[in-house]
Amino acid sequence: MSTAHLIAVGSSPLGETDLPGRDLFSKALAEAFAGLPDPADVVDGLYVGAQSERYENQIMQGTLMAEWAGLRNVPAERVEACAAAGALALKNAVRDVRAGVHDAVLACGVEKMTAGGTEGATNALGAAFERALEQRSGITAPATYALLARRYLHETDATEEDLARIAVKNHRNAADNPRAMFQQAVDLGTVMEAPDVAPPLKLYDCAPVTDGAAAVVVANNEVAEDLSECTDAVRVAGVGSAANNLAVAERDLTYVEGADVAATAAYEDAGIGASDVDVAEVHDAFTVCEALLAEAAGFAPEGRGTETVTDPADRSAGWTDVRINTSGGLKARGHPIGATGLLQAIEAHEQLTGRAGARQVADADTALLINEGGVADAHTAAHVLTTR
Amino acid sequence: MTDPDPTTTGPLAPDDITADSPFTLPGFFGALSEGRLVAARCTECDEHMLPPRTACYSCGGRAVSLSEQPKTGEVVSYTSVNRPPSAFEHLAPVTVAVVELDSSARLTGRVDAALADVAIGDRVELRVRDPEAAGIDPAFDLSYEAEWPVHVFELA
Ligand SMILES: [Zn+2]
Repeated sequence: MSTAHLIAVGSSPLGETDLPGRDLFSKALAEAFAGLPDPADVVDGLYVGAQSERYENQIMQGTLMAEWAGLRNVPAERVEACAAAGALALKNAVRDVRAGVHDAVLACGVEKMTAGGTEGATNALGAAFERALEQRSGITAPATYALLARRYLHETDATEEDLARIAVKNHRNAADNPRAMFQQAVDLGTVMEAPDVAPPLKLYDCAPVTDGAAAVVVANNEVAEDLSECTDAVRVAGVGSAANNLAVAERDLTYVEGADVAATAAYEDAGIGASDVDVAEVHDAFTVCEALLAEAAGFAPEGRGTETVTDPADRSAGWTDVRINTSGGLKARGHPIGATGLLQAIEAHEQLTGRAGARQVADADTALLINEGGVADAHTAAHVLTTR
Repeated sequence: MTDPDPTTTGPLAPDDITADSPFTLPGFFGALSEGRLVAARCTECDEHMLPPRTACYSCGGRAVSLSEQPKTGEVVSYTSVNRPPSAFEHLAPVTVAVVELDSSARLTGRVDAALADVAIGDRVELRVRDPEAAGIDPAFDLSYEAEWPVHVFELA
């Protein structure tokens, strides 16, 4: 089996923009390949994560992105599992490189979410939920996560304020991230007094509707070595993924089992344990999800997941010293659905290569990424990246 | 409808999977429109599944039978959809809940009550409604869904 490395990364600006999806992709590609040979001379395959064709009335995103990158007659495929699409693109690229199918693959993601306004995004995202009983009951993404949050607050000692502190922490982190959509801190009062979206979730518990694209190059040892003058390689040491049931009613509301399975598989693949992870980007589409994922990833004891905001020295017994969502997370960095899993990979690449600026975690050498789609762990893809 | 002898069940044959069997959505909603809520029950591990399906997600077995469900249960979690999808817009805010029926089957549904009047553990009863009478924009339905009823919970 070949070794897969993440050797180059790029993203578009994140937020509402005039640029359509393909142009956002061009921005991400331009950053990723700055100082590199042409994509056609580096990669021989492409995967693109894209949640929905509703935004731009466009499928065939694999073909389109390959064309826009100057790639001709290469395998180029769209992958989809709602918000886990980006990590699926990465996973498929890693699999192909490890298997020797390709020497290097471009993994990218793109979403033009603002195209149809809030209503368009609500309706497009609604397609991620089980149709027969759940969509036909009028649910939305915030509502399904609110069902998790309500139960979590019922079963644990956590409070709405504990969830709010997750949003405060992620905004504070984003203030130091030049890629972030919201580069400003918010205070606890602002979060607590914000309008209800789906109680107990309020506006700042929810990741924003975001336009954006991301692109990363996954390469084998030879390509990574050839391009070592102009790139910094981070090894993709572990991959895991798992589906859980689609209907939220048919899942454990306070234990994201699919995320546990995916993270455990990624750890085993990498030959590490949860305590080896220095930085983690986990899928905080809604604040409660950061807490649930901290527990599922083995960072936090059951019911203590909201301590992601607490300094490692002050956390409950059984917590690791991992730093979570240093990028600002989905909440504050932004959440362009199909690109999110790759934006997580970009943060890990920056942390592990010492490029994270004011948010740099000292001596970080190992990262976990958890990207989810559907409600929470309806689909999870997890990756371990390391420079060890 | 309900299999009287679950030990006789095994994998369904293709001919068993017809639009009048509750193992398909038309059959499930056909039964619901007649007032019967039918789940699949795994004869290996006793998992209940709504709507019915031909394999059990819990144990992987295909020895599933049909089981008519009680319409009463209790609220496991709940919220209110303040900005619902367009077809539900004029019903906003929509109270929704995950309900565990007295059989242990779980399903999500709207609750015909204000958010403030609902709590975890509340007893509820499932009612069957015509979607248009329930105020849902008929444009929401796909062509094959047009005759399907919707369910809603009322506080018991
Ligand atoms: Zn079973």
